[in-house]
Amino acid sequence: MAQPADLLTGMPAGTAPPAAPPRPVWLYVRRWLALNSEALRAVLIGAVALGLFLLAWHLLTTYRVVFFVRFTNVPSPAAVYESLTRAMHDSKFMMHVLLSCRRILIGFSLAALVAVPLGLLMGRFKLIHETLFPITEILRPIPAIAWVPMAIMLWPTNEQSIVFITFLGSFFPILVNTLHGMSLVDPVLVRASQCLGAREVSIFREVYFPASLPHIFTGLTVGMGVAWVSLIAAEMISGQYGIGYFTWEAYSLVQYSDIALGMICIGVLGLGSSTLIRGLGRLVMPWNRT
Amino acid sequence: MGRMSKYRVLSAAAVASAALAAAPAASAQTTVTIGIGTQDTTTNTATTGTIIRQLHLLEKYLPTDGKYATIKFELEWQNFTSGPPVTNGMMANKLQFGMMGDYPLVVNGFTFDNNPESKSRLIAVSAYSLDGSGNGLVVHKDSPYYELSDLKGKLVSVPFGSAAHGMMLKAMQDRKWPADYFQLVSQSPEVGSTNLQEKKIDGHADFVPFAELLPFRGYARKIFDGVETNLPTWHGVVARTDFAEKYPEVVVAYLKAVIAANAWLREDPKRAAEKIQDWTGINKEVVYIFLGPGGNMTTDPTIKPQLIEAAATDVKVLQNLGRMKEFDPNKWVDDRYLRKAYAELHMDYDAALKSTKNYEIAGEDKFCKRPIGDPRKAGEVWVEGEAIAPFSSAACTLGAYADSKAKGKKINVAYVFDTARGIKLFADQAYFVAGGNNELSPFLLKKDAEAYATQVSGKVLSFDDALKSVVSGG
Repeated sequence: MAQPADLLTGMPAGTAPPAAPPRPVWLYVRRWLALNSEALRAVLIGAVALGLFLLAWHLLTTYRVVFFVRFTNVPSPAAVYESLTRAMHDSKFMMHVLLSCRRILIGFSLAALVAVPLGLLMGRFKLIHETLFPITEILRPIPAIAWVPMAIMLWPTNEQSIVFITFLGSFFPILVNTLHGMSLVDPVLVRASQCLGAREVSIFREVYFPASLPHIFTGLTVGMGVAWVSLIAAEMISGQYGIGYFTWEAYSLVQYSDIALGMICIGVLGLGSSTLIRGLGRLVMPWNRT
Repeated sequence: MGRMSKYRVLSAAAVASAALAAAPAASAQTTVTIGIGTQDTTTNTATTGTIIRQLHLLEKYLPTDGKYATIKFELEWQNFTSGPPVTNGMMANKLQFGMMGDYPLVVNGFTFDNNPESKSRLIAVSAYSLDGSGNGLVVHKDSPYYELSDLKGKLVSVPFGSAAHGMMLKAMQDRKWPADYFQLVSQSPEVGSTNLQEKKIDGHADFVPFAELLPFRGYARKIFDGVETNLPTWHGVVARTDFAEKYPEVVVAYLKAVIAANAWLREDPKRAAEKIQDWTGINKEVVYIFLGPGGNMTTDPTIKPQLIEAAATDVKVLQNLGRMKEFDPNKWVDDRYLRKAYAELHMDYDAALKSTKNYEIAGEDKFCKRPIGDPRKAGEVWVEGEAIAPFSSAACTLGAYADSKAKGKKINVAYVFDTARGIKLFADQAYFVAGGNNELSPFLLKKDAEAYATQVSGKVLSFDDALKSVVSGG
């Protein structure tokens, strides 16, 4: 986000800062507001919507509303908040969150490192595409939870099995989107660069990669989301730590408010990580403001 | 777990009305769905779930007269691999009956305390073991662990919130071990078994039937049995009170079906074990070690005070873990329906309540040619395609085993009883002490066998050596 201060210091060099009369604070504030009105609006509407969601949740559970959907035993926001405060006093809870973040980070990074180059190669070379596409299409729809027994047997340690399942979650969305990006690269650009004498490596670097980058980032955002989706399945293996495990354990002891806390936690962490990737996307592709 | 199978069965009432071919009557009928949550793989719930479903026993007893004349019952059976999902389904009113182990049961009752629509009540017991057999701890068969203390500091998994978890906590409490004596982690049976097979964990404690099933499947060895905790373990049935109060006759009908299932099981335990294998996928030899004569579980629907006392102990354990607040198991028991079912079948509830006897091995030992004296010193050999034959002692059992083997017969399994604890064992997993007079004393634990061997100045033999000794010594 552009800070107003940056713009203000970008004044002509001739005007010496000490000589300038001190600007009143409200001017800075007004300027900042004017520059960020779009973003503020979005934040404000988002906050109101979230507030309404919480209020609806509160009312539905307090009055135990039943209209086909039954809120009789769904925990209320207050109950979940109580769980949260209890969890915050427990050092174990932070451990759950941190370990899950680490697992997601490793699984996701590995998936990006493998899926993006693979997608580029599959998009460029027909033979690779024809060889690998059927395999990936078969593996892609398999849900994370079905992988649990295989993951345990495949990898020497459980930590690796867990990372493997989050890896699988991210891998396919990234691959599919990269392939899609490659299929949309304008052939005229490729031919033009070939005419100008570009070699394969340069074409990849200068044409294919930048052109499919927006789709790659879409893939990364979706992949990050799916990595969190597969977390509970992955951490069923762990038996000890992780926010997915926390949720699973709450289920096996039938503690509904802890289950809701785990769900919300995964949601918020997922939102945070997707935002990070979008931010990274803006940095890498300044030309592509979306 | 999400694995779930549904069986929709029309009730006897519906069949009867269809037989009348009375089309107009159908319009006046209301349909009531009865949801029953079972645990097919948890063998000791067979008499309250699997058997009733497969033999259509409930349909036989469902009321059809009076206010039920216009009601058409539809049974919806749902199968789960552990108790908590059953509680979840009951809370959501998708299930009106549910069966599970002692810990999940207590959690079920407690969870329903906050439900404004309905409470849950314990209406019957599926099966129990007063000394706590059924739960157990297994290690990989190639591992160097032979007793619980060998696992100090090692990674042990157990499904948290299960009866097996309770056994572990009790065992640690009895030995005054600190909470971090093991690295205790939570794994469901599915995950834990695979992990044990792959040697990712050092030990796995689990409920029925896994402590017998995993050794039977050939990659695990049981080194701790729940009997050592001496805390009863049991499975039972809970029902929603809103349903039970509205349709009390249905609850009674269900309990009559439970009694009928018990009778069917004891009438021919071998047939029952084979059928249960077909229905649930649990090996018949494993089913039989639990539900057969002298088995490690006693099936009996009566709600015994000892079991409710044990439930109170479970509550304390859960409270110490911060998992539960106030809960009184005594107020949660409701035996009115069960008493009514017994009375209507002209059976004596109070007599059954007092008795804690299992049915035992009996008959004539055809190998040593004498009748069975002490059934807990006896043994059985199951030859493929033949009846399960009883033998009067461990030595006779092994003798008959060797004899059948020499005749080229395929032997499914042989059972003997632990000399010290009286629990039924797979003979090929036991340790034998050879004393004087060609006596053989089987033991589950190596340390028990060694202690006994010093006492009688005998020696400890593996199953194979014990077999050889009977052949050469006999």
